[in-house]
Amino acid sequence: MSKLDFKLYVITGENYHPGRTLEDVMREALHGGADIVQLRDKTAKEPELLEKARLLRRLTREFGVPFIVNDYPRLALEAEADGVHIGQDDTGFSEVRELLGPDRIIGISTHSLEQALAAEDAGADYIGVGPVFPTGTKPGRKAVTLDYVRQAARHVRIPWVAIGGIHTGNAQEVLNAGATRLCAVSAIVGSDDPASVCRKLKSMIQTSAGADIMLNGTRHRTQAATLKQLVEENGLAGRRIVAEADGSIIPREGWGETMLRSGMTVELVHFVGGG
Amino acid sequence: MRLDVNEVIRGGSGRPNDDGSSGNRSDGTTGANTGDSWTVGGKTLTSRFFLGTGRFPSPAVMLQALQASGAEVITFAVRRVNLDEVADDSILQHLPEERLTYLPNTSGASNADEAVRIARLARAAGLGDWIKVEISADARTLLPDPVETLKATERLVKEGFTVLPYTSDDPILCRYLAEAGASAVMPGGAPIGTGLGILNPYNLGLIAEQLNVPVIVDAGLGSAKDAVQAMELGAAAVLANTPVAKAGDPVAMAEAMALAIRAGRLARLAGRIPELPYASASSAEAGKLFTFAPDAAGLGASS
Repeated sequence: MSKLDFKLYVITGENYHPGRTLEDVMREALHGGADIVQLRDKTAKEPELLEKARLLRRLTREFGVPFIVNDYPRLALEAEADGVHIGQDDTGFSEVRELLGPDRIIGISTHSLEQALAAEDAGADYIGVGPVFPTGTKPGRKAVTLDYVRQAARHVRIPWVAIGGIHTGNAQEVLNAGATRLCAVSAIVGSDDPASVCRKLKSMIQTSAGADIMLNGTRHRTQAATLKQLVEENGLAGRRIVAEADGSIIPREGWGETMLRSGMTVELVHFVGGG
Repeated sequence: MRLDVNEVIRGGSGRPNDDGSSGNRSDGTTGANTGDSWTVGGKTLTSRFFLGTGRFPSPAVMLQALQASGAEVITFAVRRVNLDEVADDSILQHLPEERLTYLPNTSGASNADEAVRIARLARAAGLGDWIKVEISADARTLLPDPVETLKATERLVKEGFTVLPYTSDDPILCRYLAEAGASAVMPGGAPIGTGLGILNPYNLGLIAEQLNVPVIVDAGLGSAKDAVQAMELGAAAVLANTPVAKAGDPVAMAEAMALAIRAGRLARLAGRIPELPYASASSAEAGKLFTFAPDAAGLGASS
């Protein structure tokens, strides 16, 4: 088994639930189906952070899900976390790997395909892809939009999770763009009912169908169920394109009922300048 | 029949077209400013310039060049949508849809099967059934594969396409293509994009003379002079892309080519003088003030 298998990634954000304890909120999230948890706290001093880490370690063990600490690899080791998540500006990957050893998880935040592929090359166990939408968790960071999600779906081969401003109202868009894992912070921990938000997101992820197809000559993992959804997933709705599935041209009016299945070869073509 | 050059340019009935097309001389329906109109694939055209749309510095320049060229038929290629690029790079979004006839090509095909597949994709876009068969057999010269081109032409004609094959300038092959049902035959002057001009004017002249479908010289032209030559050799039209798109000023070159095509066409209709080995004075012999010394020309004129 790969050391990582998750669908719904929940990150702590205590500023979103004043008056409720970290333990309460995260327990509810875990009840709702969070299957990986990250402690993220940029303000707490190390002793306090270690205490929180130990708390979450205990809690996540109860539910049998991995526990990740944002940055602080030494502290992560001390709290017996499963791994560390680092940003583009944090401690270098190789340094963290050296500290953690080969078996622990290292995740990296990425904001472009270039960064994603670099993280993949470096040996990251998963990457964060985002922020998909503007987010209060990381104010000032420009949203990468769904375009980067689409690129990740086409090119990233290690587990990747879409993150940033995702909530139950926009999660389907992200899944339609090719995401198979979602991460949320404020939508979950800032909710009155974290468990039900988690259940909702989890079920959206699980009901999103998936197929491995060859699209325009490249292997492509898609959540789209039909050719029409595939066209939309790639941002091509309304464009004058022609679609061919397994060598047969599919007229536009037939896209909606052309079901995608793994192994299918799809070509989407259009006209470009030529003599 | 006397040719009135002004009539040919502005309208009225010129001499019968000698390219196998019907023109407007008999039906009288094509209007006053279509004096030298011609017909290909069931369409009556007034311009004899087909413009390719590739390699222009920008869509805006391409559009201006299109306007300057007066072309009524434009070509383009079928390619995979670039899924990493969200911006629409399709050529069609830039084009004024009315009044243009679209001639998609099958470039990128290296055999008849691939060309037929591309042709079907092109037709499915709903822009008509014209197709320029283009099957390259060699990456360095991009010269057309004659056998596959003929096969693809036969198959596409049977499927109801209006087929205009780009072909090598072989008179016999061109005849086979016409017999296979090609609506026009498009021999290359030289390999695509080379600008070498018409490498075998003799063949091109033969092709233009013998076919009963329009001959459109496609590929390899470099400048206006090549367009003039193509038309003087009897071509019905010229297809150009690179010489316009990659010219210093594509818009000016589009106009130059359009004028050259018209000039060449007029010269063809006007009937050029025969080529002679020696001079033939343009003034009368009688009344000359002086005479040449008997051997002045050193050519033994009197011996």
